[in-house]
Amino acid sequence: MATNTNQVQLNQAAAPEGFESWAWKWMRYSGLLLIPLAWGHVLIQDILVGVHAIDLDYVALRWASLGWRVYDFLLLAFAFAHGVNGLRQVLNDYIRSDTTRKRVTWLLFILWLVLSLIGAAAIVGGVRAP
Amino acid sequence: MQVKLKIFRYNPEKDKKPHYETYKVEAEPTDRVLDLLEYVKGYIDGTLSFRRSCAHGVCGSDAMRINGVNYLACKVLVKDIKSSKITIEPMLGLSVIKDLIVDMEPFFDHFRSMMPYLVNDETPPGTERLQSPEERERFDDTTKCILCAACTTSCPSYWANDKYVGPAAIVNAHRFIFDSRDRAAAERLNILNDQFGVYRCHTIFNCTIACPREIQVTTAIGEIKKAIATGSLD
Repeated sequence: MATNTNQVQLNQAAAPEGFESWAWKWMRYSGLLLIPLAWGHVLIQDILVGVHAIDLDYVALRWASLGWRVYDFLLLAFAFAHGVNGLRQVLNDYIRSDTTRKRVTWLLFILWLVLSLIGAAAIVGGVRAP
Repeated sequence: MQVKLKIFRYNPEKDKKPHYETYKVEAEPTDRVLDLLEYVKGYIDGTLSFRRSCAHGVCGSDAMRINGVNYLACKVLVKDIKSSKITIEPMLGLSVIKDLIVDMEPFFDHFRSMMPYLVNDETPPGTERLQSPEERERFDDTTKCILCAACTTSCPSYWANDKYVGPAAIVNAHRFIFDSRDRAAAERLNILNDQFGVYRCHTIFNCTIACPREIQVTTAIGEIKKAIATGSLD
């Protein structure tokens, strides 16, 4: 392909950056990671093990392995942040006020942070089998 | 064949709210929807208002919703609609001035925000600014836009929030961003790197379906997203 001389000027100005382009990239990269993470989760927990076989003993056994804790932590971090950012995008379609949009963005961030911390605390702390 | 036309009517000087009126018209299968509108205006109800100019799919004046889909009335044949009942409404997302005429100014404001003109402050060469056929081909598709607004007013993101610049404005930004003679690509990409720029596009593809010039609108928007993400125009 012929070199686009417009690229010269673009290189001088550098690629535009900002929260929105960062968020756009995040959705793509986290989406790619979620394919093995989420499908692996569904395959193991819902099909191979089955939801009715999951109890505290099972979770305790599973989290005895550091690898599964890391897996679950990655799933929590990527899936929830991916979903919350998706929700932010959907809401931005409809919110016309700049102030409301900022408030909703912060609210979603706090929701993500609190629930992620609770989930992280559970994964790090583990469960005590009855 | 007889066609039943159900047309959106609204005269702000007389009507409290819009309503529909139905007209029965004799039509040939090869008639265009614009011909039917002209017949209604000429022989049944002269108060019917709609835009039209060239009537040959070039000026982009007569974009409207025909059986729920945006078309140019001059490019749709009766036989292609595959129904003898045709509902004609103004485009969505722009306020109605009268009947099928919408206020295009918000649409053109977004268009103008993209700097839709060549920007190059370098000393011009003695003759023309040369461009290879390959460089011209890079943005050929987006040069075809006729600013009819069929794409922008078919976009659910634009219906929901008219702060979104819309597909047509992005197509016209694409036309200059990828033009090797232009020098304002970074500036345009910065404008589009906004939540009401390219990121309101959720790749629904309504715009691509609606475009009477068959521009690959969603692809053009995708190329701009990629240019913003990578900083490369290749």
